[in-house]
Amino acid sequence: MTVAFCGMTHLGLVSAAAAAELGVDTLAFDSDAGLIARIDSGHLPVHEPGLSVAKLRLSTLPRDLAACELIYVAPDVPTTNDGQSDLGPLNALIGLVAPHAHPHATIVILSQVPPGFTRQLWQHDRRFLYQVETLAFGQAVARAKQPERIIVGCAEPARPLPAPYAAFLAKFDCPILPMRFESAELAKISINLCLAAALSVTNTLAELCEAVGADWAEIEPALRLDKRIGPHAYLKAGLGIGGGNIGRDIATVLRLGAEHGVDTSVPHAWLGHSQRRRDWPLTVMAEQSAKQVGILGLAYKEDTASMKNSPALALIDGLSGVRIAAYDPAVNWQDAELAYVKHAHAPLEACADADAVAIMTPWREFRDLAPSDIAAAMRGKLVVDPYRMLDDGACAAAGLDHRVLGRA
Amino acid sequence: MNRTVIVGARGFVGGAIAARLAGDHAPLLALGRNDLDLLQPAAGERLAALLRPDDSVVLVSAEAPCRDAAGMVRNMTMVAAMCRALAERAVAHVVNISSDAVYPDEPALVSEETPAAPSSPHGAMHRAREVLLSAAVKAPLAHLRPSIVYGAADPHNGYGPNRFRRTAAKDGKIALFGEGEEKRDHVFIGDVAELARLVLASRYQGILNLVSGHSASFREVAERIAARSGRPVAIEGSPRRNPITHRHFDVRARLKAFPEFRPTALERGLALADAQSEPAR
Repeated sequence: MTVAFCGMTHLGLVSAAAAAELGVDTLAFDSDAGLIARIDSGHLPVHEPGLSVAKLRLSTLPRDLAACELIYVAPDVPTTNDGQSDLGPLNALIGLVAPHAHPHATIVILSQVPPGFTRQLWQHDRRFLYQVETLAFGQAVARAKQPERIIVGCAEPARPLPAPYAAFLAKFDCPILPMRFESAELAKISINLCLAAALSVTNTLAELCEAVGADWAEIEPALRLDKRIGPHAYLKAGLGIGGGNIGRDIATVLRLGAEHGVDTSVPHAWLGHSQRRRDWPLTVMAEQSAKQVGILGLAYKEDTASMKNSPALALIDGLSGVRIAAYDPAVNWQDAELAYVKHAHAPLEACADADAVAIMTPWREFRDLAPSDIAAAMRGKLVVDPYRMLDDGACAAAGLDHRVLGRA
Repeated sequence: MNRTVIVGARGFVGGAIAARLAGDHAPLLALGRNDLDLLQPAAGERLAALLRPDDSVVLVSAEAPCRDAAGMVRNMTMVAAMCRALAERAVAHVVNISSDAVYPDEPALVSEETPAAPSSPHGAMHRAREVLLSAAVKAPLAHLRPSIVYGAADPHNGYGPNRFRRTAAKDGKIALFGEGEEKRDHVFIGDVAELARLVLASRYQGILNLVSGHSASFREVAERIAARSGRPVAIEGSPRRNPITHRHFDVRARLKAFPEFRPTALERGLALADAQSEPAR
């Protein structure tokens, strides 16, 4: 059996690589010859731990799809900063793929689409199914190889899935949940809204901790031991809801709620609170008249090069009239469009002569920084460390003013 | 440097803005009620005749606090004159001094994005004024919403730092509603004037809350004033008649617009108010 993945951006590339790792003959298709050439030469368009494309067959030819029993259409769906999806590129790819697919092939939409999208396709072409992706930046390969469950959207959930598709899914050794198209499409959104709810609760209570003398780091493990909340719940205090995917799903729910008269004031409030917490470093820095600021980390979270809705970019945007040096181990500086920010090539280079330093992405390597070295490099004392990457005692010993989220 | 015209320059806030600009030797036309009474029939035309295309205009004049329908009518008459003048004569920038009374009582945390929903005639007057000016003014327009302003020259005797300072000095007593638990943002008049200067210098457009960013309970304010008075001052609570409400401000918009501005801390502001009151004592 040959499985094809179409659209070699983040989702498609990671999903194809995971399928190939399972021993499946995997065709990775994209009509962008330049992109395929870069992947072929080892220059991957995304940063993901464990991502290997060695076992993929790469192609730019739509006719290669004719021999595939199972075809995933999986390009990333671009979103604006306010979470609006642009489905144009996905529709274009579907229009390219479908005519070349075998009449008995199964075509699975893996990209993030709004409820109702796949049924419209199916009404004109019965080869289409939908499958929920649960891509998590920085953990994408592990999650693609070992999903908790696979959610499939189809017209008739009670009927068996097409044999090649069922055989492929069986390789993942996890529960398969067929459901109607709209349920599956909304299930994906529901997952992200549950995560957003947990993040919003966490960030609200972390702020309250700062005001009443509590410490969120002490509360967090107690919640994880509660079976109703769970050990993997999103309980790390952070700078709002980062990235683009959760924000996109909240925007979709707000749009659908407005269209259908459903009260969406609660998720609407999450967005406002997220922006407020995103700006926490700016409010801390405003207490001091920093002329030079060092920023460690530009990506919206660790193990990714994505800067979509990154708190670091929001901080840079808010620090008008301030000299800034920044370091990030993964982001592509050319993509960053930060002409007025000095590109530091090492963390301490970004800290040099800074009145204040902000650790804006919890990259593991920042945990290894010695506060004494940071203090020696800086001119001032303020270290804004929302994710508590540095040891508090060592910071105090180094004379640093160490500010963290979730504790006064 | 272009000229600033202040309409209502003899009042507490208008006077402070005028003094701040005069300190920079900025070109200034400071109009008080004796110069231009906005309740008079031809006031709009008279104001228009005074305006030049490159003027910045600060609109402070209001009959405040507005307590009832009659007060609303008089205030709207004044706004109508302002609107007529600004519709007739193009200017470079308009700054309207509004109030945080336009916000609803409920939210504990208020930002410029909080929807206006006034519950008092005073708040309704300021909101109506904002809406009418926004409709009439074609120049870049800013609505500045100060919270509780305190300072030596305040002519009002509203509940808060100004009344507390007076009664502490005069009667050795400060009377609180309930136990003074409510937290409010008390902004020093000098900060209001400085922010107005920054708004004028940058031709800021849109809404900006003129606040300190730190809320203190009325009891804390009373205790600070009592401690500063140098004499025994009794702080007296009273049976509570209304539920306790707090108000805090999210100041991110100000931080982004004017990162160089540093608000005056309450203790420092009270000291400055005392110092500015000394000659009168």
